[in-house]
Amino acid sequence: MPPMPPMGPGSRKGGPQGARLTMEKPKNAGATLKKLIKYIGKNKYLFFALIAIMLIITLLNLAAPMIQQIAIDCITITKKRISVDFSGLGKTLVLLGIVYLFSSLFTFLQGICSARLSQYTVKTMRRDLFKNLVRLPIKYLDTHNHGDIMSRMTNDVENISTTVSQSIGSLISGILTIVGTIVIMLIYSPILTLISLSTIFLTIFVSAFLTKFMKKYFVQQQILLGQLNGHVEEMVTGYKTVVSYSKEKDACDDFEKMSNELKKCAVKAQIYGGVMGPCMNLISNFGFILIAAFGGWLAIKGHITIGTIQAFILYSKQFSRPINEIANQYANIQTAIAGAERIFDVMDADKEKDEPKAVFDTENVKGNIIFKDINFSYVPEKPVLNDLDLEVKAGQKIAIVGATGSGKTTIVNLLTRFYPIDSGEITIDGQSIYDIPKDDLRRSIAIVLQDTVLFSASIADNIRYGKADATLDDINKAAAFANADEFIERLPEGYDTLLTEGGSNLSQGQRQLLSIARAVLADPKILILDEATSSVDTRTEMNIQSAMVALMKNRTSLIIAHRLSTIRDADKIVVIDAGKVAEEGSHEELINKKGCYYDLYQTQFSGVKT
Amino acid sequence: MKLGKYLKPYKLFAILTPLAMIGEVAGDLLQPKLMSQIVDDGVLGKNMSVIIGSGALMILFLIIGGGCGIAASAFGGIASQSFARDLRIDTFKKVMGLSFQQTDKFTTGSLVTRLTTDITAVQQMVDFLLRGVVRDILLFFGGIIMMLTLNVKFGLILVISLPIEIVIMIMILKKANPYYSVVAQKLDNVNCVVQENVTGARVVKAYVRESYEQNRFDNANEELMRSNLKVATLTAILSPILMIILNLSVIAVIMIGGLEVDAARMHVGEVMAAITYLTQVLHGVMMLSMMFQTAARAAASAKRINEVLETEPVITSGSETGLYTKRGTVSFKNVSFSYPDTKGRPVIENFTLDIKQGESIAILGATGSGKSSLVHLIPRFYDATEGTVLVDGTDVREFSLDELRRKVGIVLQKSELFSGTVKDNLLWGDKNATDVDIQKAASIAQADEFVSKMPDTYNSKIAEKGASLSGGQKQRLSISRAVLKKPEILILDDSTSALDLATEAKLRAGLAEEMSQTTLIIIAQRIASIKSCDRIAVLDHGRLCGCDTHENLLKTCSVYKDIYDSQVKTTGGEI
Repeated sequence: MPPMPPMGPGSRKGGPQGARLTMEKPKNAGATLKKLIKYIGKNKYLFFALIAIMLIITLLNLAAPMIQQIAIDCITITKKRISVDFSGLGKTLVLLGIVYLFSSLFTFLQGICSARLSQYTVKTMRRDLFKNLVRLPIKYLDTHNHGDIMSRMTNDVENISTTVSQSIGSLISGILTIVGTIVIMLIYSPILTLISLSTIFLTIFVSAFLTKFMKKYFVQQQILLGQLNGHVEEMVTGYKTVVSYSKEKDACDDFEKMSNELKKCAVKAQIYGGVMGPCMNLISNFGFILIAAFGGWLAIKGHITIGTIQAFILYSKQFSRPINEIANQYANIQTAIAGAERIFDVMDADKEKDEPKAVFDTENVKGNIIFKDINFSYVPEKPVLNDLDLEVKAGQKIAIVGATGSGKTTIVNLLTRFYPIDSGEITIDGQSIYDIPKDDLRRSIAIVLQDTVLFSASIADNIRYGKADATLDDINKAAAFANADEFIERLPEGYDTLLTEGGSNLSQGQRQLLSIARAVLADPKILILDEATSSVDTRTEMNIQSAMVALMKNRTSLIIAHRLSTIRDADKIVVIDAGKVAEEGSHEELINKKGCYYDLYQTQFSGVKT
Repeated sequence: MKLGKYLKPYKLFAILTPLAMIGEVAGDLLQPKLMSQIVDDGVLGKNMSVIIGSGALMILFLIIGGGCGIAASAFGGIASQSFARDLRIDTFKKVMGLSFQQTDKFTTGSLVTRLTTDITAVQQMVDFLLRGVVRDILLFFGGIIMMLTLNVKFGLILVISLPIEIVIMIMILKKANPYYSVVAQKLDNVNCVVQENVTGARVVKAYVRESYEQNRFDNANEELMRSNLKVATLTAILSPILMIILNLSVIAVIMIGGLEVDAARMHVGEVMAAITYLTQVLHGVMMLSMMFQTAARAAASAKRINEVLETEPVITSGSETGLYTKRGTVSFKNVSFSYPDTKGRPVIENFTLDIKQGESIAILGATGSGKSSLVHLIPRFYDATEGTVLVDGTDVREFSLDELRRKVGIVLQKSELFSGTVKDNLLWGDKNATDVDIQKAASIAQADEFVSKMPDTYNSKIAEKGASLSGGQKQRLSISRAVLKKPEILILDDSTSALDLATEAKLRAGLAEEMSQTTLIIIAQRIASIKSCDRIAVLDHGRLCGCDTHENLLKTCSVYKDIYDSQVKTTGGEI
């Protein structure tokens, strides 16, 4: 089997991008446009330069047919002049050449300027978007679809980029061209202008009519295609289940139905789409004949020259192009504004609150933690914690136990200020955590999560995440402490091994060890282990376990739902039930008490402990 | 092109399309000629009847040409869309028949791309070939011929300007192409930073690394902008250069035309027509270059589709539809298994085990000891490399796949639900099931309780991939679906991991009560959850190192005792 060929050009457009199919309408176009213009305006010199260049290009493009007309007149043989006017022709053609040269030169400049304008604009937008993104509360990220947030960063920004680089240019030059063309045509011949304009109106009218008709089928085609792709995605990713239930044939039948429907709709869309071109062609040529007939009649009468007719034909062609373009750009601009709206939604979302009233001495944290009368709910009216009271003394090792959904992890979310409490008070060494700077609070706490988070960087950099200024020696020590050094050194590039996205080239246990090493390096006074080893098999776990025990020494530690060994020698076990502390005490105390810890313990091990 | 055969049934339309196109192009090509007549004989000759006559002729040609154009797009549409439909259906059917080792190799993401993006790309190319390319080639050569019929000397202009235009275009596109992949790379970097920050926000915040991440992003952002600008600058050169070549050629036409008019060999109108033809020809070159790029992309897509179409499923259906009295036994006889294209030790080595009807058997072992691989051999997700797997005394390879998979129900480690209602999903197990059946299956699987609390109970919509449900709920629905199927052999592949022990116990009790005739094979990590099985098979590095009751294994199997100790004595099991 040869290696897989690289993904097709379209593959990068998968995922959330595929979802938006038709032109959208922004909700509040005015306000969004204003903000968008402010971003573009940050490069106002570039913007005004672009407009100036456009103006010059438009003038040159308007002048060119005029000069071409003079040239044609020079070679026209009439009764007055029976030979070609070569001296006039030479001069005119030189002039024409110069105009063309400048037109190309400025078109090049326009390309450069608009690329710069759009790139600078979206770079700033991306930066600002990310700047707010990293400072958003966890709640925002927990409650919003990640794919959707990603799509704002990529798709929507990309749309704005193309719109700025293309649409603005087309729009400005389109308007300028239309105005200029009308003026020049009027100067040449008001009657012919009238004829030209009437065909233009006919063009607009017919194209609007046809578009409306076509759109119906195109939209339907997109919807059907979306459904079809959805079906494919579902059946292919769930293929194991499809096979287990022998549903291959049903899946194929459904697919066949969808394909047939799509085909029918696509053919219709294409036929209606195919009518557009010839119709426009017919109208514009009909216009030409009208101009030729009237122009010829006028020329016979001696009112205008042949060159004028030639120029008119060129101008009327120049006329319909910008109108079509403006119509096209309208849809693009709408989509871009809708995208900008989504970007500004994230950009304007409230950041994490931080209003410190006191200083916090991060060097001398003792680690006395008190939760007092805590009430909290993620969703209003569904309380998770009810008047919870909990005290952890400096250096204590506390295990928090309880059923899924009892609120164990919530305690971590509150202590780290990932979520704000509804009422009550949390203090560290007597200071409310809301009175001290958020960053200082977090610097004194290290957490090891169930889902290890690793970044695509070297192993050393991933450990260094705990402490930015750590030396290589510090990193080695931390890794050794966490029992991670052994496997790291076995890797071909040791600490310089680059982790692929999410650290997928490491085993779950190795990833866990790295995040423990990271916590070791951070060396905080307070340590939180949130189901840190739940998905590791028991043998690997023993390895991690000893690292954890060493790590917890001399620290205030909160351990959530851990294996019994850690829980057993915890200074205190706290059982959370229905958002309250149901029981607390040492393992022996609680077992003797025969309360809910005893029950939990019994259901858990009744099978094993016989 | 191998995909060509899909166009065969529509060859009438495929042939009609370019023919109709010729009509349209002919109309287009005649226009400037008629225009020149109108100008030369009509306007200059002050002959109104020529203007009206030629004008009417022109309208006639336009209508015929336009009609041909509409016909071409209709024919092209029918041909390319029907082609795409057939190709799509065939490819999908092919994918639905592939064996897992093949879908593994393709990866699901790539299969989806092949079925969607790639097929659309090929369809567009077919339409493009039938209409666009034919049109452009006709316009291109037609334009050249028409120009030459006006005056052979114009050929000189083409001889000079055409090669220059083509060379410049190739040069710039060649230079720009590598940059596109650089841009793609830089865009990936930006996305990667965002992705990591969105999913790893807790760690970023916990270690107060917001400004560090901001820096990392700014660097990636800056690089993306730089490479974008490089591409934009290169492409910004292209169009002005092509324009200047075109415009200089127009000047040359007027100049030569002037000489010819002076020598009375040509009329002014013909010079004007020549300008129009010239524009057409040079424009055609630009369009052709775009088409080459599209065609190159589509060819890559076609290659990828072909790879799927040429893959023959490794696992083929047998013919046995066996209506045996012996129901629900599974035997492994000296089975060894390695994943295809892997080296080193096999995943399963010389494994022998007989499972009786109605027995409940657990399979235990460390991560990577081959538990899942072993059970995947029963419904033939994979075939054993050596030895035989028998169901009801018959080699699984002799069964028809439908029959085998009807006998065997498997609940996977990762629950897979499909968009639709809860009921739709459960009906996969048995499409003729009544509401009562469904509810019964769900209550055995402990799913009825939460489903009946959902706003529309069994008619509640499940979001894509069950995103609106918790892990435990998804697992319970998957089990309900398997229960509804009433298989002879039910395999639970670590599919109760998200359930708490109390619920798991209820589930097991329900299964034991309602499906006592069903052979049950359970894979689990926790001894606590499988202790009560009739037998426990212990796997260590792909070998069977013991199969007995819990009590006996503790005495006889050291590996089992190790695992037991690690869960009870050392770490004390789990809470």
